[in-house]
Amino acid sequence: MLKQLFIILAASIMLATAAISSAEMSPTDSIRGSVDSILTLLQDKGLDQTTRRKEMRKVINERFDFRAMSQRTLATNWKKASGEQQQEFVELFSHLIENTYIGRVEAYTDEKVDYPGEKVKGDKAVVETLILTASANIPIDYKVYRKKNGEWWVYDVIIEGISLISNYRSSYQEIVSKEGFDGLIAKMRDKIKELQNQPA
Amino acid sequence: MKKLFILFMVLALAVSGVSGDATTRAPASTAADENGSTVLILAATDDNGHDETTATPDDLENEELPWLDDDDEELNVWDPLEPINRGTFWFNDKLYFYLLKPVARGYRWIMPDPLMLGISNFFSNLASPVRIINAGLQGKFADAGNELTRFGVNTTIGIGGLFDTAKDHFNLTKKEEDTGQTLGYYGIGPGPYLVLPFFGPSSFRDGIGLLADSRMVLTYYLWENRDYWTAIVLEKVNQVALDRDTYEGVKKDALDPYLFIRDAWAQYRQNKVEN
Repeated sequence: MLKQLFIILAASIMLATAAISSAEMSPTDSIRGSVDSILTLLQDKGLDQTTRRKEMRKVINERFDFRAMSQRTLATNWKKASGEQQQEFVELFSHLIENTYIGRVEAYTDEKVDYPGEKVKGDKAVVETLILTASANIPIDYKVYRKKNGEWWVYDVIIEGISLISNYRSSYQEIVSKEGFDGLIAKMRDKIKELQNQPA
Repeated sequence: MKKLFILFMVLALAVSGVSGDATTRAPASTAADENGSTVLILAATDDNGHDETTATPDDLENEELPWLDDDDEELNVWDPLEPINRGTFWFNDKLYFYLLKPVARGYRWIMPDPLMLGISNFFSNLASPVRIINAGLQGKFADAGNELTRFGVNTTIGIGGLFDTAKDHFNLTKKEEDTGQTLGYYGIGPGPYLVLPFFGPSSFRDGIGLLADSRMVLTYYLWENRDYWTAIVLEKVNQVALDRDTYEGVKKDALDPYLFIRDAWAQYRQNKVEN
C-alpha cells in the first residue's frame, strides 16, 4: 500500500517536473533538441532510409506547426476554403514541407550546426542556426511561437534570407488565381504521388 | 564583345528608365486584384531604397492565430517578360541537366575534395575587388577593410587564394557585396525579373550589376579570350561539383519550379540589399 502510494507520488513528481522543464525551455533549446534528434537520425548508419524518414517526420511533426504554416501560406484563400478543404490542404502541405526540409537536411549529413543567437519578443522568437560546411556557412533561421503549454513551435523557416512560407505563398497564390483552389489541391496531390514513385 | 556590352547597357538603362516610371504607378494599378492582396514589393521601392511593403492583407487574421500575420511580408515579383523568361528557364534547365551536371559529375569523380575547395577559394579570392569596391560604395568601410585584409592574407599566406586562411585562422568571414546590391542600396529597384541564359535568375538591375561585377573580377584581367572563358567555365563546373544538388532539390518539390525559384531569388536579393 505504502509502496504503491510512493510510486504514484514519484510518478506525479516526475510528470510535474517534466511539464515544468518543457515550459521553461528556451526557443533555442527547443530547436536544438529537434535538430539534434534529426542529426542523430541522419548519422545513424544502421537505419534504412524508410525508417529514417519516418522517424524524421515524427521529430518534425513535434516541432513544426503545419496548421499555422498552412494559414500563413494560403493567406486570403485560407478563409475562403471550407473546413474540409483546409484540412486537406494542411495534410498535403505538411507532406511537401517535410519533403523539402528533409531533402535539404539530408544533403548536409556531416556538417556541424552552430547557434549564434535568438531574438525573443513576447510569445514569438527567431532562433538563428548556422550550418557550417567546408565552402560556406548556410544560415537557417526558425521562426517560433509559444503555445499555451509553453512549448515553442516553428511557423516559418528562413534559409539564406528566403522565407519558405512567403515563397510558397506567392507561388501558391498565383496557382490559385489561375486554376482555383481545387486546381492547387490537384497539383499538390500529383506532386506527392510523383515524389512517392521516385526513388529519393 | 565590348560593343555587345555597351549595347546591353544602353538597352538596360532605357528599359530601367521606363520601369522606374512604371514603378511609381504600379501600386495604384495592381494593388487591388480580386483578393486585394497583391502588393508589389518590387514596384514599391521608395527613394531611400526601402521597400514599403504595404500593410499585409488583414484577411490573414484569424481567430486562432491573430498575431501570426504582423511580420508577414508580401512578395510579388514583377515579371512582365514571363513567357520569354520561362523559355530561358527551360533552356537553362536542359543545359544544367544534360551538359553541366554530367560534366560536373565526371569532374567530381577525378578531383579530390580539398582541391575543389581550393579552386573555389581561388576564384572567390579573385572576386575580392567586387566585394571591396561595393562595400566601399555603400559606405560599409569596415566590411571593405575586412575584404581588403582577407584578400591580402589569402593571396599571401593562403597561397594565391587557394586557402581561406583569413577565415580559418583569423576569423574574418566573407561579406558578400556586389554591384546589384549597391544599386539597390541607392534606391534602384530590381526592375523586371529576368532569366539570363547560362547565368540564371536575375533582374534588370542585377543583370547590369553582373556585367559591372565581371569587370571587377581579376579573372578578367589575368586571362583573355579562350583562357578567360576556360577559367569561367572551370569556376562554374567546380561550383556545381561542390554543390549538393540544391537545384534538383528545389525543383523536385516545387509545384511550379519557375515560380518557386523566381520568388526565392527575389527574396534572396531583397534580403541581400537590406543587409
